[in-house]
Amino acid sequence: MNSIEKAKVLVIGAGPAGIGVAIGLARRRIKPVILIDRRERVGGVPSLYKKKPGGVPTFVLWTQGRLIFGQQIAERLADKLRASEVEVWLQSQVIEISPGQKKATLVNPSRGRFQVSAEAVVLTCGARERTPVERGWINGSRPGGVLFTKNMLDLVDQHEVHVACTPAILGSDLIAHAAAAKLRFAGTADAVMMDRSPRPDCSFPARFYFGRWANPHYEGGAREVTVVGGRSVSAVTPAESAPVRCDLLMICGDLVPNSELALMGNLRVDLASRRVAIRSDYQLSEPGWFAAGNILGDYHGAEWCYFNGRRVAGQVAKYLRRPEARD
Amino acid sequence: MDQTSSRQGNMLYDWPGEGCESSLKFLDAAQLGLQPYDVAIVGAGVVGCALAYRLSQFKLRVLLVDKNFDVGEGSSKGNSAIVHTGFDATPGSLESKLVTQASRQWPALAEKLKIPYDSCGAVLLAIDDEQQAQLPSIHKKALANSVDDVRLLMASEVRELEANAPEYVRGGLLVPRESIADPFASSIAFAEVALANGVDLLLGASIAAVENPGGTVKTLVTSSEKRITTRILVNAAGLGSRALADCYGGQPFDINPRRGQFLIFDKFSRPLIGRILLPVPTPQTKGVLVIPTIFGNLIAGPTAEDLPLDSHVATCTTSEGLQQVLVGATRLFPRLQGQPVIGTYAGARCNCAQGSYLIRYNDPHPGVLTVTGIRSTGFTSSPALADHLIQGLADNCELKLEEKPDAIDSRPERAWPGWWRRPFENTELVKRKPDYGRIICACENVSRGEIIDALESPLKPRTLDAVKRRTRVLMGRCQAFECLVPVAEIISSHCRIPLEIVTKNGPGSELLKT
Repeated sequence: MNSIEKAKVLVIGAGPAGIGVAIGLARRRIKPVILIDRRERVGGVPSLYKKKPGGVPTFVLWTQGRLIFGQQIAERLADKLRASEVEVWLQSQVIEISPGQKKATLVNPSRGRFQVSAEAVVLTCGARERTPVERGWINGSRPGGVLFTKNMLDLVDQHEVHVACTPAILGSDLIAHAAAAKLRFAGTADAVMMDRSPRPDCSFPARFYFGRWANPHYEGGAREVTVVGGRSVSAVTPAESAPVRCDLLMICGDLVPNSELALMGNLRVDLASRRVAIRSDYQLSEPGWFAAGNILGDYHGAEWCYFNGRRVAGQVAKYLRRPEARD
Repeated sequence: MDQTSSRQGNMLYDWPGEGCESSLKFLDAAQLGLQPYDVAIVGAGVVGCALAYRLSQFKLRVLLVDKNFDVGEGSSKGNSAIVHTGFDATPGSLESKLVTQASRQWPALAEKLKIPYDSCGAVLLAIDDEQQAQLPSIHKKALANSVDDVRLLMASEVRELEANAPEYVRGGLLVPRESIADPFASSIAFAEVALANGVDLLLGASIAAVENPGGTVKTLVTSSEKRITTRILVNAAGLGSRALADCYGGQPFDINPRRGQFLIFDKFSRPLIGRILLPVPTPQTKGVLVIPTIFGNLIAGPTAEDLPLDSHVATCTTSEGLQQVLVGATRLFPRLQGQPVIGTYAGARCNCAQGSYLIRYNDPHPGVLTVTGIRSTGFTSSPALADHLIQGLADNCELKLEEKPDAIDSRPERAWPGWWRRPFENTELVKRKPDYGRIICACENVSRGEIIDALESPLKPRTLDAVKRRTRVLMGRCQAFECLVPVAEIISSHCRIPLEIVTKNGPGSELLKT
């Protein structure tokens, strides 16, 4: 068995919240802090939204009162990290945690499977878009041409694929409206957007803003919808309504926390919402385990997550300074 | 082509467009040689693949052809993955005989073919007095089916075996050898060994017509207008068997899809049960089961909905159907209540009005074999059914069975045999091939190296669905949120296919319309 790597603090997930935690710890001269991410770069979800000339900025820098591309947020955060003493491990996947032993098992290309132990661990794994099955109101066939926003970003932003489709969007939150705008910018027709609520689940200012690029037609009150299509999606049919023709079906927004590691490690997680159970000091159900950012379940933008991470860093520092720890 | 040589068979796709490399494309019938096949099997589901596997042990020129772009993509991929003992079959039926036979063969076969297999056993639960009263007759039926290791259980014994069984359970029946396996790996394993022994495999080819079905040599015409000749034609096309039978004037039979919808639960639900849980069946249906999967999940299902043959929704889920499954499953096993559902699927069984296991030799012409109505037990019976059909072909269609001395009957060792062996557990292997440490699918912990191994495996899969069934990518709780495009990127760069053209399951199912 390989020797176990030791860290002072392990931060799992290098999105805005994880970077916030890492920077907050680094500024308090706590080290070694190891920040882990499974992807090939830091920045989490914002890094997926590439800056494009004339494109759609979808992130808000509240502290500066302006709109910005996700990529720019990711770059700023990456700069902060580079200027710090945080150790960043990319392409590193945590496959298991042992809360009682404060250990995590990782896999990466240089070392294969190995373990890391730490005095404190922070889960900043973020959230993902709920699947059609999890939403509960989407049934039917399983054709090609059905994508999450994240898949669309991977294809369109990272690969510059031109999209000449007629999209339908399931979901109506901020992410769905941003997706509608980006699709239109990428060459699609205006989307039909469907959701359960009678009105879109997105504030008027945000809808007004995205209206610069797209004007999705909203069909609310969908009790349930059926996906239609053999090899490829051809329509989505709301119950007791006419089919809405489309050749691209987007599953947007409606986030759910990435709390699998916590669940598998027997940390307390509410099964229905998948939210990790936390105390007021952001500690989880085992001492020395913390969480920050969108894994907490109330979905916030990148800047909020970063500052939440900074805040949780303070709680981690307090935990590390506790009397028992000093022995 | 010399049918006695140990040369590998041809692996070809009838693929229009750019979705696969030209070296894999079926462009000309001459690529398959000009001699007629001894046997052409239409339908590469688990039955067709098992038949090809067994036939490949003999000195025969064999073709396995399917309209889908992977093997096992029909009913063979949408079932409960249970390898039955046959305890509840109709005693004396052909189905009962073949299932019981195959059930005894499976553990050794799974070992030889490297098919993930677990003899977890099953417990039939009686949840009221009426059901409890039926247990003795179910027990008797099991014995009549030569499944003699079943045992009646008292309520306390049920709870000893299954700690989470409902309080209101009255008693049960233990079926120790009822097992679970990987249904995808099964079709693939059969086909891989067949290919290694010289069977030609043609995928993506729909048979649109059969010319000269009454002749000694019949001609299959693909929808791409290529002609393939064969002496014996085996129709193992499942729900496509009626349309194919019409091409050669086969005797009438009525088939229809019987849809079965399933719920999939997350891996942390798996510890709730140890064995397959079965309800006491009713005259209409076997009921909704709660089943552990070999992949580490729990599933519940199926429904039993008869649909017309031309239905477009035979593999679609419905909220009513899934609700039925949930109600049935939670009545049998209330602990399932509130466990998150991470996936659903609907498979279509081939139901035949004239009865299950409808096998007709020389239908209606010499050398044409129709096999249809393999409804609920095809996965289990496949090895025994294959042997039965071969004997039948020898007896009825003059098939000459001369053993091929150098034929293999096991899957050869490979560095990466399949999803169940994680290369990252071997540090030396990762040092040599860092791609085994690059995790692409976080839900199932699948590395880039494994995806490439799948692409290079003998059947040369080229679709996302084919890659997913071999590696587990795209099949986790996030339903490809994380890894859809990364996996497509790997297929794109490895096979030199433009990214947007990577398909879910063949032409027409591209990632994006551009």
